Amino acid sequence: MILLDGVTKIYPKDTKPALDNVSLHVDPNEFLFIVGQSGAGKSTLLKMLTKEENPSSGKIIVGGIDLDYVKKRHIPHYRRRLGVVFQDNKLLPSRTVYENVAFALEIAGMSNKEIDRTVPKVLDLVGLLDKSHKFPSHLSGGEIQRVGIARSVARQPKILIADEPTANLDPVTTKEIIDLLKRINDFGTTVLVTTHNDGIVNYLQKRVVTLDHGKIISDQKGKGVYSLEKEEPKPKRKPMPKVTKRPLHSTPVKTPPKKKIIRTI
Amino acid sequence: MDKKSIETKRNTKSHLKTLTKNGKVKKLRTTRRVVKYGTAGFVRNIWLSIAATIVMTITLLILSLTVVANIVLSQTADSLRDKIDITIFFKPQTEDGILTEAKSIMLNDSNVKSVEIANSKEEYQRFLDENTDNEKLMEVLNDEEMQEIMINTMQSTMRIKVKDVDNLDSIKDIVKNNELFKNNLDPEKEPSYDVNQTQIKTITSWANIAKNGGIILGIVFLVISILIIFNTIRMSIFSRREEIKMMKLVGADRHFIRGPFLVEARICGMISGFIAGTAGYVGMLFMTPKLTEYGIDVSVITSIIKSEWIIAVYAALIALGMIIGTFSAKLAIRKYLH
Repeated sequence: MILLDGVTKIYPKDTKPALDNVSLHVDPNEFLFIVGQSGAGKSTLLKMLTKEENPSSGKIIVGGIDLDYVKKRHIPHYRRRLGVVFQDNKLLPSRTVYENVAFALEIAGMSNKEIDRTVPKVLDLVGLLDKSHKFPSHLSGGEIQRVGIARSVARQPKILIADEPTANLDPVTTKEIIDLLKRINDFGTTVLVTTHNDGIVNYLQKRVVTLDHGKIISDQKGKGVYSLEKEEPKPKRKPMPKVTKRPLHSTPVKTPPKKKIIRTI
Repeated sequence: MDKKSIETKRNTKSHLKTLTKNGKVKKLRTTRRVVKYGTAGFVRNIWLSIAATIVMTITLLILSLTVVANIVLSQTADSLRDKIDITIFFKPQTEDGILTEAKSIMLNDSNVKSVEIANSKEEYQRFLDENTDNEKLMEVLNDEEMQEIMINTMQSTMRIKVKDVDNLDSIKDIVKNNELFKNNLDPEKEPSYDVNQTQIKTITSWANIAKNGGIILGIVFLVISILIIFNTIRMSIFSRREEIKMMKLVGADRHFIRGPFLVEARICGMISGFIAGTAGYVGMLFMTPKLTEYGIDVSVITSIIKSEWIIAVYAALIALGMIIGTFSAKLAIRKYLH
């Protein structure tokens, strides 16, 4: 479904490559985590899959399309085949939940009837049918992320790319989002998720590709795990200085009695 | 190129062909959506829309005022120039035949627009017509003897209207050197062109300033207004740049992204055109009588505002507003579409 062959990306003015000779093959219907520290090259990899960036060298083939041959005029058509969930949601603030999801279908030229049939189903899938007429500013972080997912799957793409979809979300909402992505994967969509969160990686136990300084340092196929501590060892806590604690029920401190105020008229 | 890469290339091309073919959306459906979202955007970003509309209204008013001022000034200058004539005085009792011959000589000059001749009798009649209000003079002229003296002493005249008041040399040349003129001109009364030359030049220069200045001012205001509107629309687009980025990433094409912004700008232009037209119309209704009192020729403006031409003016203002809006919006959004 996705093939990267010796992909290198060097940004202008940078000496070190953001991606260094990366080769990766993702099968159809696979669920893949791409993990790594900040600056490891996760976002660059996704940007190249969405054709926001071009590789300096190497080949990328997505769904049978060699991205080298995708010209400017083809880009919108190519992107319509992908579902993309962004870290910062990128919803249209002046449009309702319904309109945001419908937007993805409108640009593909779907008729209003088809849109009216599809959008409620997708909103039902992400559990936001009752909030379809609300604006993004009236939604919680988790709900906004679910709208983003709904928008990306509305066109039933074969590939779903999610860039840190659980960043800034609490653990409960994170689990909901990951479960949702898992359900989408169960429907037959290839899902690529970049994350920092070792908890969700270990929770799902799917394939995990670890990037470090633009290189793939490990590729664990099936029941992969990821430990954040391996790469970012937490600083050891300094021992608390010893403080002589006062017992809770020690002699209370006497407060001085209030002075009587004599008012004179 | 190996076999595998040739196959990949062929596959890609066929995939892209299918994608483009399937992705071709119905134009009418897309346009309807673009208009819908443009209108919704205008309402939802009402404060920015109001700001843009106000700026555009002021611009259109300034532009139309410049055009009106240009028309009025040059028309006034033209009518003043029409009132100016060069008068050549012939001896009293010059025969009509001589005057007619002199007229035909003068008409041969390319700078001469028209020539009017009057013998002593006709000149006397004109004098009477100009002084009908002067009762004392009329009483004196009632006397037949007096009338005869007047007719006998009154010079025959030739009044010449010229095309270019700055270039009177050829006329002067005829008057000085032509035998017919030399023999019949009244030596006591010099032709009037020397007396009026300064006045003529002043009026001409004012008329030219009005015309050229109006055109330059119009262009300057047009450029300034486009810059102001461009910046107002750019502010609106800048605050929504993330929206544009998102639209691009989910696969919207240029037409779909740019369309609603253009529709918003055109709505602003349409409303501005209508407001500017109405304000201008009401303003002109109040101003024209006062301007006429000051001797300014507003006949063209009056004839426009009191006829069906006013609809054409409205249409032109609305169209101009829409064109300026479209141009500015296209310029402002270009950066974010790349």
